[in-house]
Amino acid sequence: MITYLFNPFRYIAGVKSLVAGILVLLLTAITGYFSHTHFPDLISIKLSPAFPLWYFVAQVFTNWLVISIVLYMLALIFSSSSVRIIDIFGTQALARVPYFLAAFTGFFGAMHKFGQYILYTRFHQGEPVNLTSTDVVLAVSLMIVSLLLSIWTIILMYNAFRISANVKGGKAVALFITAFIISIVATLFLSRYYLSLITG
Amino acid sequence: MERKLPIVCPSCDSELKVNSLHCESCSTTISGLFELPLLLKLSRKEQDFILNFVKASGSLKIMAEKLKLSYPTVRNMLDDLIGKIEKLQHTPQ
Repeated sequence: MITYLFNPFRYIAGVKSLVAGILVLLLTAITGYFSHTHFPDLISIKLSPAFPLWYFVAQVFTNWLVISIVLYMLALIFSSSSVRIIDIFGTQALARVPYFLAAFTGFFGAMHKFGQYILYTRFHQGEPVNLTSTDVVLAVSLMIVSLLLSIWTIILMYNAFRISANVKGGKAVALFITAFIISIVATLFLSRYYLSLITG
Repeated sequence: MERKLPIVCPSCDSELKVNSLHCESCSTTISGLFELPLLLKLSRKEQDFILNFVKASGSLKIMAEKLKLSYPTVRNMLDDLIGKIEKLQHTPQ
């Protein structure tokens, strides 16, 4: 059971994981569109205003493509095995399953209210918001859930890379951290570019 | 019960060698000091993997289907096995 949750790539990779992963990415983008939850970089989960659907689709697919491209290049350079591109891209797509669940957090009104409360009290933006203790408990619980989902995603992404590229130990960790940092910067930059297309 | 061929010394973990061979048919026993063939130095699981790999005509795809594992997992098992065989071949006897 633990293996299925944290390393399903022992059993599924290639075309199967790519098809399933792309489906998950599409569902994540659509759910995010309706719940106003977006993913402005590789791991962030944030509430968003009502943006067009293409923004959510572009963001979700960019996050997947950027890390996959970087990991594939690193695998080609540093792995002694013959690495298949479909394994890297397929497993990385499937590794983003937890973010599909994270996209549902935006459906809870408490998250939006909490966000508005923080904006008003810390940055003096928007209108004053009355937060009930239930809202606070729910919002904090959802933030903890989001954090756990992010950690789960990172573990899945690492295991996907480890299996697909056949790298182990310190080498796998170092390559993954490198790819992770490059991807965060690149996705953040691209996400801001998409945002500029909307806001002008 | 199937008996396992010991390949390492239970006392000091050194590699074992063949000391005698016996013919069940005529009870002839040959004594000497013989190296274990390379394949016998592998674990039973690794030997089974090689047998299955040959039976699958060297297809990792078929192996993955048979073992119900993903293609890269099976490829990694093969790569690890190749690494172990190369290490055994380069280990001085």
